[in-house]
Amino acid sequence: MSFYGTSVSEAFDEKGRFDMKRVIALAMVAAVMAAACGAAAPSGGGAPATAVKLTSGKLVMGVINDQSGVYADLSGKNAVEAVKMAVEDFKAKYGDNALGGPIEVITADHQNKPDVASSKAQEFYERNNASVIFDVPTSSAALAIAKVAGDQKRLYINITAATTDLTGASCNKYTFHYAYDTYMLAAGTGKWVTENLGKQWYIIYPNYAFGQDMEKSFRSAVTKFGGNVIQSDGSPFPNQTGDFSQLLLKAGQLKPQVLGAMQAGGDLVNVVKQYNEFKLKDQGIKLAIGLLFDTDITAIGQDNMAGVVYTTPWVWSMDDQAKSFADKFLKRTGIRPTFAHAANYSAAWQYMEAIRRAGTDDADAVVKQLEGYKFNDFFIRNGQIRAEDHWVMHDALLAQVKPSSEAKEKFDYSKVLGTIPAETASRPLADANCKK
Amino acid sequence: MRRRDLAFLALGIVVALALPRVLYSALALRILLWALFAVSVDLLLGYGGMLSFGHAAFWGGGGYAAALLAKTFELPFPLAALGGIACAMLLAAPIGYLAIRRRGIYLAMVTLAFAQMLFYVANEWRGLTGGENGVQGVPKILPGLSVGRTADFYYAALPLVLVGLFVAYRIVHSPFGHVLVSIRDNEARAQALGYPTQRYKLIAFVLSGGIAGLAGSLYAIGNSFASLDLLHWTTSGSAVLMTVLGGMGTLWGGAVGAAIVLLLEDSLSSVTEAPGVVTGAILIAIVLGFRRGLLPEAGRAIEWVALRRRGG
Repeated sequence: MSFYGTSVSEAFDEKGRFDMKRVIALAMVAAVMAAACGAAAPSGGGAPATAVKLTSGKLVMGVINDQSGVYADLSGKNAVEAVKMAVEDFKAKYGDNALGGPIEVITADHQNKPDVASSKAQEFYERNNASVIFDVPTSSAALAIAKVAGDQKRLYINITAATTDLTGASCNKYTFHYAYDTYMLAAGTGKWVTENLGKQWYIIYPNYAFGQDMEKSFRSAVTKFGGNVIQSDGSPFPNQTGDFSQLLLKAGQLKPQVLGAMQAGGDLVNVVKQYNEFKLKDQGIKLAIGLLFDTDITAIGQDNMAGVVYTTPWVWSMDDQAKSFADKFLKRTGIRPTFAHAANYSAAWQYMEAIRRAGTDDADAVVKQLEGYKFNDFFIRNGQIRAEDHWVMHDALLAQVKPSSEAKEKFDYSKVLGTIPAETASRPLADANCKK
Repeated sequence: MRRRDLAFLALGIVVALALPRVLYSALALRILLWALFAVSVDLLLGYGGMLSFGHAAFWGGGGYAAALLAKTFELPFPLAALGGIACAMLLAAPIGYLAIRRRGIYLAMVTLAFAQMLFYVANEWRGLTGGENGVQGVPKILPGLSVGRTADFYYAALPLVLVGLFVAYRIVHSPFGHVLVSIRDNEARAQALGYPTQRYKLIAFVLSGGIAGLAGSLYAIGNSFASLDLLHWTTSGSAVLMTVLGGMGTLWGGAVGAAIVLLLEDSLSSVTEAPGVVTGAILIAIVLGFRRGLLPEAGRAIEWVALRRRGG
């Protein structure tokens, strides 16, 4: 279709036959448009946006995540709000009829159970006719939904699950991985800490999939940049007693230069508190952290975390563009966004943009638009969607928690130390082993 | 009595056939398989008087075995399910052998302990089970038919589930089942009458494990993955809850309980922030209001109405 909405090729129907009725209709459309252009501005009709044709007349986007358990704070309900914000802003920019029909956001709490996640995803795709699902923390749940997406030939854009399997062994044509993965975290923190704080590492990790992945990723990153992992130990998961003294006392004896803690959420809170109690910092043992969300800092207390260096895809205070989103988000939800919230907004936005470019929400056409696409927005910098494995490459940040005395407001936790270029932050394709 | 059974059977089959049309197919499949699972628990709890709090071991053991068989050897799903049943029964034999030496709460604790052991084995044996991520990408295969879509798989699996339910029904209504009930009511007397009660209990335990294994196998293949959740203790707890909710010792009560629990879980997950709290509150209300379980209470209500009508 041409820009002005009519062309000769439209005189032919789907089967390529010449259709007199169409010619008459087209002639009328052309006449009306000519009149409209000559007179006032066209009232809604005729703009390029109406070129979008939705397969079911409306666009349904699903968000499946944990809304009542351990990940409810870092993504949860506020991630749904973020996607809704993206829809509202998209309409504000391109008009209510930007995608040729209403846009709906539906959501479900998967309670971190992969079977609930899988059946909810099927319900969304089959019953609600959702064309995309976002977020999905917990790697087993994310992998289950990726499988459903592949079977149903609908899109799934993962945000909160960290496993590299989504772009590796379990990759498929309809699954994308946004924001971050364990490789990115290790590539950033492992390199910087080894080069700047110390080469002798002692790694402690929670003994389940995420922790083991992190240990592996960090070990290879540290070794690659000239460091040495003296030892690494798993801690029981879940750690009901919250007691990490055994590992921390061992750290005191081993005297590494760096203590790498891969624990997340509540476990991380305990590790850091006990690290402070044992005064390991005074013994010259520096703390490096695998994964840190702003909500963790809220729980641990900013001053308890001050000085810690970590890798993150995004910090809300990094620049004006990010800040203006964070302001809107604060107004709406009462908190500053975590990177997962921002990523949900960004992913929803880019998905809708891809529909605009494709002119349809048909999954294959949208995938084609996304593959290889280069873009920047308030969240993604130097972004490129790798066609081969659907990893969304982009710059990551090295950030440091600052003491509360330097904070300008309650949620002002971190300052940015530097940028990790997209190439460095992304797992090399050769290692991905993705066969779509 | 016989006519009522037939009517129930017809109603059950109609409901089972219509379920994927009324609900979405993935939820229908979950209800169908949890129903079979709950029936296997009731076989043991309602008829044998044995509260197994570790049935997840057989549901999950069967699930993992079937998933691995289907994935590694690309077996058709009924064959993989047979493997799952065998695995579950192999697990149930030694666990049952040790567990039936105790009764009541102690039996529950022993079964729970074994199920937890299996959970940690599956978590640590990453090379085989994929640990936390589980066995992903399990194919649904049936030669000559395409069962890739959940709706198709539902109807392909339905005959196997009906066979499982029929086996449970036959067990309960056989001389073996009657002996089992007598053991439940008074083990000493059954022993005095000359029945080798331990052997009866062990056989019941293994059969129940096998049915749970069938349900778990189909669940894993139907979902296309087997994950640690299958073996989690809350899975055992849910199965017991469904059985108690629907009515112990009724065999089909568990199916009703399964439908209610899963429908609540599903519908609440989209509307409230805390599905667990709301589900829990509703379940407490049901258990307090209908002490015998939903199915027996419903039966009594029907009888009461019939009586009133005849009297009036």
